[in-house]
Amino acid sequence: MNGELTLTVKNDLTELARVSSAVAEFGQRHALPAAVLFDLHLALDEILTNIISYGYNDNREHEIVVRVTLPAGSQPRRIELEVRDDGRPFNPLDAAQPDVSAPVAERPVGGLGIYLVRRVMDDLEYRRQQGKNVLVMRKTLAG
Amino acid sequence: MELTESKKGGAVVLGLSGRVDATNAGVLEQRILALIDAGEKRLVIDCAQLQYISSAGLRVLLIAAKRLSDSGKLALAALNHQIRDVFDIAGFSSIFQICRTQDDAVAAVQ
Repeated sequence: MNGELTLTVKNDLTELARVSSAVAEFGQRHALPAAVLFDLHLALDEILTNIISYGYNDNREHEIVVRVTLPAGSQPRRIELEVRDDGRPFNPLDAAQPDVSAPVAERPVGGLGIYLVRRVMDDLEYRRQQGKNVLVMRKTLAG
Repeated sequence: MELTESKKGGAVVLGLSGRVDATNAGVLEQRILALIDAGEKRLVIDCAQLQYISSAGLRVLLIAAKRLSDSGKLALAALNHQIRDVFDIAGFSSIFQICRTQDDAVAAVQ
């Protein structure tokens, strides 16, 4: 079964709750496994939090477009998340990788979000297109 | 996120429920730091009712671990499977004491 969800959200952290319930509803409708749904929530949450918190140089309202698609006929089933924003250019694939084996004292506070996204999604693709950041994240569903 | 607080065997037990993300991690941070500033040295974070945590929540736990590393003890209890996976990916499973139950965690911080 194919499916698509498009959401336009403002650059305000309170929007995360709306994204979360829409994604939960999408997951339920398409019978996505709980573990997959958790990863999708995490990926979107981290990416949107980053854009909203650090993506803009002004205090104006901006729109971020989120698309969740389950392409028809893809075998095995694959889910795709796309996030488009008009913030400053930012390629998550260039973000520094944290040292996750360092002891407590040497752990920097922060910098884990993008790393988690890269680990829970199978692949990430970034492009800057017409003044926008376009990030596509894919995950293959097992079974 | 809902936050409950109780005292058990000389430890403060913070019960988290729901979701911890960038919208509410600040509330958790303030509460934990207030407890540490007030001299609490044994802290248990019970995650039995916690459904979700993002890096914003992990950040707060790391701050708490850093603050308590010399002078106190911190243990986490009852992480669900998905949250445990996030801990594993973030390398947090090796820096936190993670217990199966709240009682085990209270015993671990004695």
